[in-house]
Amino acid sequence: MGSRAARLLLLLPVLAYTAFSAGPYLWTATMSLRTTDEIYRSHYGLPVPAHWDKFARAWTEFGYATYFRNSAIVAVASVLIVTVLGAMAGFAFARRRYAFPLREPLFLLIFLSIMFPPQIMLLSLFQILVQHRLFNSLTGLILVYVATELPLTIYLLRAFFAQIPTELEEAARIDGCSDWAMFWRVMFPMALPAVATTVILNFIYFWNEFLYAVVFITRQQIRTLPLAIQFLVSDQYQDIGMLATGLMIATLPVLVFYLFLSEWFVKGMTAGAIKG
Amino acid sequence: MLVTFYNSVHTLRMDLGMQYEFVGLEHFREIVRSDDVFWKASRNSLTWAIVAPLVDMPLALALALLLHRRVPFARFFRTVWFTPVLMSYPVVGVIWLWVYNYDWGMANLVLRAVGLGHWAQAWLATPTTALPALILVTTWMFAGFNMVVLLAAIHAIPTDYLDAARVDGASGWRRTWHVIVPLIRPTLVNVTILDFIGKMKQFALVWVMTRGGPMWGTETVATYVVKRAFEWKTLDLGYPSAIAVLWFVTIFGLSWGLTRVLQRREALEF
Repeated sequence: MGSRAARLLLLLPVLAYTAFSAGPYLWTATMSLRTTDEIYRSHYGLPVPAHWDKFARAWTEFGYATYFRNSAIVAVASVLIVTVLGAMAGFAFARRRYAFPLREPLFLLIFLSIMFPPQIMLLSLFQILVQHRLFNSLTGLILVYVATELPLTIYLLRAFFAQIPTELEEAARIDGCSDWAMFWRVMFPMALPAVATTVILNFIYFWNEFLYAVVFITRQQIRTLPLAIQFLVSDQYQDIGMLATGLMIATLPVLVFYLFLSEWFVKGMTAGAIKG
Repeated sequence: MLVTFYNSVHTLRMDLGMQYEFVGLEHFREIVRSDDVFWKASRNSLTWAIVAPLVDMPLALALALLLHRRVPFARFFRTVWFTPVLMSYPVVGVIWLWVYNYDWGMANLVLRAVGLGHWAQAWLATPTTALPALILVTTWMFAGFNMVVLLAAIHAIPTDYLDAARVDGASGWRRTWHVIVPLIRPTLVNVTILDFIGKMKQFALVWVMTRGGPMWGTETVATYVVKRAFEWKTLDLGYPSAIAVLWFVTIFGLSWGLTRVLQRREALEF
């Protein structure tokens, strides 16, 4: 340990795993800039010349603009609703003065529902959506997403609010703040680090979610990106080059953010590890 | 949730305007007694849930310990290894469909390059290799993620403990096994259970890559539930609900048992 040779030896498995980990995605990245003809001539070539126009074509001709928009609407709307509701509920559960009947049993129920597997919710949610005419609509999907991630968000934010000393709210109250203003002006800004964690966690989950989307959405115009990719695989199996471009469109937004905010991402994703 | 339990003891005809007909435990009897596909699917799911943690966890622990040894560019490696978990299953599925392509996929390319070309095969089309191939994909996705969680636990160990062990003359290897690993044991148990549960629920990767084929070789309980509910023209939500309930109870029971076993071993060691 400590000697140069030993450190280099440790580097070998590290490099091997890095190749395994990054190889497939980098390969896809090269293909996203090459035409399908070029790829069929040689599957492993550098993207020279780079066909950046493929991204524009995927966006306009292959419908990725629509799918991207659908994914963005669903993810952003769900994150907003979950964050606002989750923060308020988390705060209410964290403070004794907001006591209401059945508070403890209710929180236990919320905690338990974090562990419900999606498969068991799937069929009953399907029925409920059909009954309320929300099946096959982005609104329905957003409601389902909010319902599935709200418990975990409440749980994480409640834990954070519980750590903030009550003196601050009392000071705000003495200054004449209503509960509502006190929450949004004082408590919510203080909880921003925890809120950011849940926002990232939830956003990634919503952006990538597949099971509910595949069952609840059947109309082409409202497909989200994961759904669209699944259909394009079977419809355009031959057009590898364009599919690779699509994969980049679906992953790059998240990965670019991740490069700049990787600490936050790691925090967010591992906070979700209690759900798995 | 409750609706699903209610459904599981009924036959629910979607074509007749959601008519309920009470059938008691009939569905459960049929599943256990005569549903061969269910048994194949549950065997696949169980295999996945047992093998994946056995591969993922030692790999994740080894990687975490390596990075802990102050490898240069540790942050860079950590960032790269974590990336796969940020992608959706369909994206991962498509990339790995290409990796496993018989003619030009990376898997066979590597085998041919190191002179093992006779091992090259159509990984996803062969019943015996399809499931292991999919398990490797989940390892690709989650080993790095598990590594990050373990590394965080290692970093949280007070340096005093490691210094004390060093002063006592413990070698690097013994410090690892007798100080670090026991101290992060709760995290290890947690991550293992989560890995297990995640694989018991596996759906999306199978749906995108193999649709359960070849010959039910990669069918999981989750894909079977969705197929029975929405693809087979049985138009009955009751039967798949019964499968979902049965599987939920199984997952719950097994993960509870696994937690008990892993924690008891911990108790015995101290």
